Formats: sequence, C-alpha cells, structure tokens
Amino acid sequence: MDELKVVGSDGIQYIVVRLGDEQYGIDIKYIDNIIRMQGITRVPKVPEYLKGVINLRGEVIPVMSARLKMFLPADEITRATRIIILKLEQHGTVGIIVDEVKEVVTLDSDHIEKVSYDSNTENVNFITGIGKHNDELISLLDLNLLLQEKDNV
Amino acid sequence: MDVSQYLEIFIDESNEHLQNLNTQILNLESDPSSSDTVNEIFRAAHSLKGMAGTMGYKRMQNLTHDMENVFSEVRNGNIVVQPGMIDILFQCLDALEEYVSNIKESADEGTNDNQHLIDQLNAILNSKGQAAAAPAPASAKKEEASAAEDATTGKKWLDITLDGAQKDVMEEALRQGKKLYGLTITVQESCILKAARAFLVFKAVEEKSEIIVSNPPAQDIEDEKFERDFSLIVVSDVEVKDIIKAAENVSEIESVLGEAIDLSAMNFGKDVKVVKEAPVAAAAVVATETVAERPAPAAKAEKKQTPGKPVVNRTVRVDIEKLDSLMNLVSELIIAKNSLVSISSQDETSHTGAFNEQIEYLESVTTNLHESVMKVRMVPIESVVNKFPRMIRDLSKKLGKKMELYMSGEDTELDRTVVDEIGDPLMHLLRNSADHGLESAEVRQQRGKPEVGSIFLDAYQDGNNVVIEVRDDGNGIDVEKVKNKAIERGSITPEQAANMSDKEIIDLLFLPSFSTAKSVTDVSGRGVGLDVVKSKIEALSGEVEVRSKLGEGSTWIIRLPLTLAIIQALMVVVGGEKYAISLGSIQTIEDIHPSEIKTVQNKEVIHLRGTVIPLIRLNEVLDIESTKSPDESMEVVIVKKGDKQAGLVIDELIGQQEIVIKSLGKYIKQCKFISGATILGDGEVALILDANALI
Repeated sequence: MDELKVVGSDGIQYIVVRLGDEQYGIDIKYIDNIIRMQGITRVPKVPEYLKGVINLRGEVIPVMSARLKMFLPADEITRATRIIILKLEQHGTVGIIVDEVKEVVTLDSDHIEKVSYDSNTENVNFITGIGKHNDELISLLDLNLLLQEKDNV
Repeated sequence: MDVSQYLEIFIDESNEHLQNLNTQILNLESDPSSSDTVNEIFRAAHSLKGMAGTMGYKRMQNLTHDMENVFSEVRNGNIVVQPGMIDILFQCLDALEEYVSNIKESADEGTNDNQHLIDQLNAILNSKGQAAAAPAPASAKKEEASAAEDATTGKKWLDITLDGAQKDVMEEALRQGKKLYGLTITVQESCILKAARAFLVFKAVEEKSEIIVSNPPAQDIEDEKFERDFSLIVVSDVEVKDIIKAAENVSEIESVLGEAIDLSAMNFGKDVKVVKEAPVAAAAVVATETVAERPAPAAKAEKKQTPGKPVVNRTVRVDIEKLDSLMNLVSELIIAKNSLVSISSQDETSHTGAFNEQIEYLESVTTNLHESVMKVRMVPIESVVNKFPRMIRDLSKKLGKKMELYMSGEDTELDRTVVDEIGDPLMHLLRNSADHGLESAEVRQQRGKPEVGSIFLDAYQDGNNVVIEVRDDGNGIDVEKVKNKAIERGSITPEQAANMSDKEIIDLLFLPSFSTAKSVTDVSGRGVGLDVVKSKIEALSGEVEVRSKLGEGSTWIIRLPLTLAIIQALMVVVGGEKYAISLGSIQTIEDIHPSEIKTVQNKEVIHLRGTVIPLIRLNEVLDIESTKSPDESMEVVIVKKGDKQAGLVIDELIGQQEIVIKSLGKYIKQCKFISGATILGDGEVALILDANALI
C-alpha cells in the first residue's frame, strides 16, 4: 500500500490511460474532466488529428486524437473510449481521445526514468519520462509537446 | 487612510473630466467669449484638482491648481483667451493624461513635475497684472475684508438660514428642556480627505446630540463641496463642551467652535430678520452675502444644463465580468429554449397546446432578456470619437494644413467591447486622411477646392451592422502610384498588375508594410497603419472597404456587427453536417436547376434577375461529399457583402434560429470562413459559416 501514502514531497499523481497496447500517464494537475465518447462535430481545414469540437456543458471544446497525433493507427471507438479534458495555460481547454482510462498512480522521482533521446521511434518526442509501477511501464506524456502544433503534420 | 479602493473611480472620472476639458477648450478656442464654456472648464478643472488632491497625487494637483487659477482669471474677465494660451492648456491636458495613464498602470503619478507648464501658466497669470490691474486688487481687497470678518467671529453657524420646519423642531426641543448649540468645525489645511473627516465629526456629534441642520448641506459635505469649515446646529441634553470634545477627537481637525445659541439670533429665511445686537447682525449680514454668493453660480449652472444633454454622462459603471456572466445565463436560457423546441418537434402526438404556449412564453422572455442585456452592453461611440476634434486640431498645426473635422452620429451605439477597440483604427484612418488624403493649401487652391480641407466622420446603423465612414475631400488614392509601388516592392508582378482592377489595387494598401507616403512623417507613413486597421476590424468581425476617386477624395467604410454574442441565423445542412449562416448577410434563398448554371472563366455562375452571381459549392469548401445527386435542383443561399454577391450551394434548409456564438477555443486555429460554433437544442455543436469570408 505504498502508493497510498500519496502526495509525498516529490510524488506526482498520474492518470494511466491506454492507447493501443501501451500505457501512458497524464499529470493529474492538467486534467479538468474525463467524459465518455460523444458526437464530435468535424471542423473543416484543420490537421487530421484534430477531430473537431464537442459541447461540454455549454462550452465548445476542441478534441484531438492522441493516437493520430502520435502516429499510431486511427482510433477504434469502443465502450471504453474516453475523452480527457485538459486545461493548459498555453493551449486553453482541449480534449484528447484515449482508448481507456485505467487508474491513478503516484510516482516519485525514484520511479521515473528520463527518456533517452537516441531512440528512433518518433513518438518519443511526446514523452518526458518512463514511470515504473508494479512491474509495468508507463510512458509519461509531455502534454505541451503533444498539443503543440507542427507545420509538417 | 487607504485610497486604493477609489482608484478605479478616480481614473474613470479623471478621464471623463479630461475629455470634458478637451472638448470645452476646443469650444473656447472657437468662441473665446463664451462664459458658459469657461464656467464648465473651471468646474471640471476644479473637480479634477479636488480628486487628485484627495488621492494624494500632488503633482497632478499642482498642475490642475495652476490651470484652475488661469481659468478663474479668464472667468473673471481678467485674462483674454489667446491662441498661445490654448496651446499651453492643451499641453497641460496632455500632461494630465500622462499622469492618469501612469496612475492607471502603477497607481503612481510618476515623477514628471511639468514645471515648464506650470511656469508658463504662471506667466499667463502674471501677464494679466498689467492688462487688468484695476479690478484685481479691488476684488482681492474685498476677499480680504470678508476673510477678516470671518476670522473675528468664526461662528459661522450664525450664517445658517433656517426654514420654518427646522425652527419648529428647535422650538420643540427647547420646550423639552434640551439645549440648542451652534458648532463650526474647521479641518486642517493639509487634510486630504475632508469629506471623510467631516463624516467622522458628524458621527461623533451625532452620538451626543441630534443634528438639525448643517451648512453646507450634508450631501455637499459628503461630496466634499466645502472649503475648510462647516457649521452645524444641534439639539442635545449634554454640555456643549462635551460635543466640542467629541468633535475634536477626530484627527486632522483644526478647531471646533461652539456655544449655546439663542433662537432669536438666527436667520429665518429672508422675511424675518430678528433684531439682535449690532456686531452680530453685521457679521450675519456679511455672512449671508457670502452664502448668497455661492448658490448663484450653481443656479446658473443648472440653468445652463437644462437645454441639451447633460454635460457629464450619467453612467452606471458595471463590471464587464458581471455582464458576461449575465450574458452566459441568457445563453443557457436560449439553449434550454432550443431544446424544448426540439422536443416538441420530435413527438408531435404527445404534447399539448399548453406546452407550445409555454415555449412561446419562454421565447418572449429570452428575447426580452437578450435585448435588455444587450442594451446594457451598448454604449455610444461618442466616448471614442470625442477625442478626435482635438487630434485633428493638433494635426492641422503639425502638418501646416488647414482642416476641419465634421462628425455625425456620435450617439450610434455599439457593443462595449467593440467601442473600446475601435478607437485606434479610426485614429489611423483619420490621420491617414489628414496626412495623405488632404492636399496642401496651395494645391487645393489650384484645384479650385476650398482652402480648408474637410474630413467627415459619420456613424450610422444599417440593419444589423453599424457603419462608420471616414471621408475626406482630398486627393483620393492614386491607383497608378499604388500599382507602381506594389510592383517595386515585389508584392505583385507587372503582369498581375495589368490584370488587376482598380479596386483590387487599392486593396493592396491593406497589405502589411505598404506605405505610399513619399516621406515618412510623424503622423503616418510608417507603413504600419492600414494593415493594423484591417486586422483589428476583422478581429471584431467587421470589415473595411475603400472607395476613392482621384482628385475628389476617398471614403473608408467600416462595417461592424451590432452585437457579438447572439445572432439570428439560418441553419443549413451540407453533406449531412449542420451549419449556421448569419441572417444578416443573407439576401434571398433560391431554387436553382443545374441547367441554369453557366461558366465564366471556368467559374460557375448563375444569372439571377439581371445580375451574374458566382456560385460557391459549400461541400467543396468544407471538404465533404454532397448528399444530393448532381442533376437535382439545388438550394442556393444568396449572400452579400457590400456590393458583392455570391450563391452558396447547400444540400438542405433547416430554418431560422437564434443562436449563441461560442468561440472554437484557443487550440483550433480558426480557418477563415468559420467564425465560431453554436450549440443546438439537442446538444450537438454546429459551426457558423462566415459568409463574408467566403465571398
């Protein structure tokens, strides 16, 4: 029950989500809300990963596909699919589509390994580190990089 | 005492006073003899001084004080208004504006003493010494005399004139065995919050007694409309020295005089002059004179204010944030209404007439609410355009051209957010007209135009838009010159230029860093003007257009939407998706058979009632498959922008609806022709098409 001692001096809480076969962690402080998949209104003339906009209690919020942004195969919408509403200073409120929301974990710096940048895979760009939790690996998403717009995409 | 809570009010009011001063000094320049104008200026300067003093802004206070001295002499007829003086006064206003803007940014007035301005003001004051030496000492003597009189008596409560009701109260109190006291309280000269001190004195005195009457009236004291002293008449059970002591306990009070008074020694209006001892009577007479003097200008002011509109806008300052939340509530209400509407259209069998009635009621409520909230947000553009006459005057001096600004429609109302933003673009356009538009006096004479150039600023409402026109009778835009410049700059190739219409070439002026001014002046010509104007106006969902005739002048037309938040829209379906088109830009809806489509220069057009209208297939613009087969007849929405028209081909019409405009959020870089989104009754999001951007 170590992880229940939460908010230690350097422990950070992450929400673990599934994208394809991998697990990713999103820093909980950026998360405003988690909602079920709903109808998305397409917006023309935007990059492919931007799926459109949704209505969240009267506010119009853009939604992007984390999978497409990270060059993974397109989303398969299932009952487990969720939209995670993120609130970032720089980008405002944005929703990202994930395959499944699994749990909340607390990781302190001992359990986080910085990523080595010599890897060839492209989506290493979106990750700040790798967390180890109960023998499982969780890629910690760098939300600013994930949400950053790139001209070549 | 902490005055920071008054800072906002101070800034607002200072700006109002400064604006007022600007306008009035302009009036004074054109009509130096108007005493009403001088009085108005004096009052504004005086209020400004008082406010600055209260807030502890000494430099601002000093400057206004010296300005006030000058106005005071002008008012007394000791100084004649001269053009040089007006210039100095304007410089003073600029300096004051600088103080206010410093205060706005840092709550500090800055360190600029503007000593040279104060010196100049004093020079004006001194010069009057020779001009009107005779009357000045006389009035000074008179003041001295009355001051001396006051000092010896000091018992200013004797000045108070009582009416019958107050007399009755006093007599009644006396019968009950209470005592009647008169008090005169003088605050220290250095006191910055006189009204606050007076209030504390009132409170202290009220604990011990009942205040029957005060001079000046309590309201004036609260508004700080008194010099340094005020007088009270009170009834009380306690000794007078107790009351004096209580009043003296308030800090920054210089002296409190008080003693029991005899009813018979008081003034009861004009009719009853009770016989009293000679010296007291004399004092009272002098006093009544001074009292009588004071209401006179006030009465005059009132008389002056009745015709026309009030000098100062009577405004209720509302926090924009509060308005926004109110606005959001209305939005929700409308969304709720829309969902009711959609339920009622879904199952036609179950609902009853009463249900529909309720919807109608809800609809009327929301419409009214919308209108009234909108009205709160609307402000006349006056607040922005009022500073322009002054600007044109300064430009006229600076550029050495004679010009006159004519304004109309200053009372046209616009959304507050728009009004706040529209000032800069208008200023750019006016400067542009003054600098580039109007020719020099010699050229004007050669062309047979009046020597004085005219610039017009007209505002009026046109349907759901407000139009602001900036027009001049100057040279107009030289299309050839613009064309050559554009080619020289590499903006266009000579081949392109040959194919461009005059209008297209004029539109090149709105490109970033495009300036045709031969010389870069202080006024304009840095090439940062017009593209800023355009982008600013487009950010307000407006548009700007130029019409120009070489040699006759040019007109800049700005079109702005009346409101930004809620619009009437036509809902359409394109390729299975719902879109909203603002009703304001729609002209008609036509049923067109594919056989009627012609092609001109490879573009599809239709011929409709004598005009050729280009067709825009929305499904192509929106990257979606149309659900209609190509040989079916088409629904075409004819939209217009200015004098241009276009036909938007859609799949299906839904109908008219009131929609709430929502932003798409920071994250999606809006594509040009989507102006926002709205939430439909069923919770679905529909995008709003900006027809203007499509044309």
